[in-house]
Amino acid sequence: MTELYQALAQGLLIGATYGLLALGMGLVYGVSGVVNFSHGDFISLGMFMCLALYSAFAMDPYVSIIITVPLMTAIGALVYIFLIRPMVGHQFLMVVQLTLGLSLVLQNGILMVFGGEPARTPSFVESKLIILGDVVLRVPRIVAFVVSFALAIGLYIMLRSTDFGRSIRAVHQNAHAAALMGINVGRVQVLTFALGIGILALAAALLLPGTPIQPTQGLRYTVITLLVVVLGGMTNFVGIMLGGLIIGIAEAFGTIYLDGPIGLLLPYIIFVAIMLFLPKGLTWSSAR
Amino acid sequence: MRDEFYKTLASPIWWGALVIAAIMPFVLSSYYVHILTLALVYVALASSWNIVGGMAGQISLAHSLFIGIGSMFSAALLLKLGINMWLGLVISAVISGILGAVIAWIDFRFQLGHLSFVLITLAFAEMGSIVVEGWDFLGGASGLLLPKDTGNFLAFQFGGGHGAFWMMLGLAAICVLVNVAILNSPLGYYLRTIRDNEKAAQAIGVNVLRYKITAMVISAMLASVVGTAYVRYLTFADPYLLISPVITIEIVLFATVGGLGRAYGPALGALLLVPLGEILRGKLGSTLPGLHYFIYGLVVISVILVTPRGLLPLFERLWARWRGPAVAGKP
Repeated sequence: MTELYQALAQGLLIGATYGLLALGMGLVYGVSGVVNFSHGDFISLGMFMCLALYSAFAMDPYVSIIITVPLMTAIGALVYIFLIRPMVGHQFLMVVQLTLGLSLVLQNGILMVFGGEPARTPSFVESKLIILGDVVLRVPRIVAFVVSFALAIGLYIMLRSTDFGRSIRAVHQNAHAAALMGINVGRVQVLTFALGIGILALAAALLLPGTPIQPTQGLRYTVITLLVVVLGGMTNFVGIMLGGLIIGIAEAFGTIYLDGPIGLLLPYIIFVAIMLFLPKGLTWSSAR
Repeated sequence: MRDEFYKTLASPIWWGALVIAAIMPFVLSSYYVHILTLALVYVALASSWNIVGGMAGQISLAHSLFIGIGSMFSAALLLKLGINMWLGLVISAVISGILGAVIAWIDFRFQLGHLSFVLITLAFAEMGSIVVEGWDFLGGASGLLLPKDTGNFLAFQFGGGHGAFWMMLGLAAICVLVNVAILNSPLGYYLRTIRDNEKAAQAIGVNVLRYKITAMVISAMLASVVGTAYVRYLTFADPYLLISPVITIEIVLFATVGGLGRAYGPALGALLLVPLGEILRGKLGSTLPGLHYFIYGLVVISVILVTPRGLLPLFERLWARWRGPAVAGKP
């Protein structure tokens, strides 16, 4: 039983952060129909920025978000304006290929600056543990869980009851009508993309303590994020957080209960199965 | 419709280009022959991917599986079970074909949209690389080392540099010719109909499932054969190269840069980008690892922004303008 609780707890903790990673992608997809295949490399970029700040100023990852979040948000806005906006109106698949190209640029740009060796960024909470009964939990994961859920709730409130949130929802439901109501659709799309990348800077700092990082990890993060977004039905807020928890738990069960490669495969197998039998993701019960 | 294919077969330009390419090993140093051999590997791979990704418009990211089966599995059959690599090539190609058919069937049966197809194939590719890295029979994470190439043709050996170059040249030519043949056959027209409007294609009686499976099987088997030849050339079956989703992404980008869905587009992209990347890597690889991928990425982004249909249509337009207005109207 201990193993079961341990797996559940680990899965829930990491799953919340996966959900947060995926919320950014889901928002962007809902507002501008863009699926960003360089998502994971932006996470990498956020992590390596924290590493750089640590090496230069001995800054804790949790502190360096003061710098990385605004910086990444600005990068996100520039990427949207100069790279992605010119492609709107072209075939959907051209954007996929463009972001695949961007992923190569980011991944290898990081490789050129930091080298290929796995690196660690120390944090003051890195090795702290909390023991509940027989279950051992790492403090950074708990911090990530709490912050991720707080942010998700914050985003939800923002979407529900601020003007910016309402304009995002308006563009998502009907961009044409939103434009007629006087919403600057282009501006909303840029800001949403920037927000999506800014969230990644936060998520990167949350994932970082205790996790070795290397430049080639981006693609795996992209894949995990995509699994979660698709499971959640692309744009459904609650569905995406739920999808994050499912993938997180599948990963934890796979590594704890199953030996070797099959354990690592579990999230993908669950994903393919859910995709095939519930092609619209987990939101089949909702009206939309 | 097939006239175009026979015209290509009888074309002096085609054979002339092949002959000139074939005498390259006598002219160039072995370093450049190596670079050209790599370029030909990617010409063959990008062309085989083009059948599914370009003509049928389905961005499959599962091709690393077929390349991986062709390379890692046939290498494992030789080393672990002593099965001749020619037989291994056939076995791997058959398995790849079956797997391709299954993926195409899943796509059709569950009516995946374009995006879901990209995602499901990417998930399959990730699963493949996890399986290979964790399974000792296929070499695990450390890979497999093939016996030295002594030029024994019966054991699928081609005698190092020059032999490997000619074999790759032959394979690349076959892959491009298959592209020309399909584009000018009814299959090619069906595939383009499916790409442009699948529902309309179905409505006028195109058997969508049959043609999707046919395209995927041809593409998968070609990729697998090229994989076997590639691993024989490399001698070392490296899972991080051969079954990593990155190799598919590279192929997709070469095809996009050259011109998707065109017979010569993917070949053009690979012939331009692979030598560029290899020379950059040779010159700066020790000081700046990753630079060639960085440049690939930049080239892809700029090509997509400037000419989204790829370089081949751009060159054709420039050529038409240079030839004067008399032929400018030709498609």
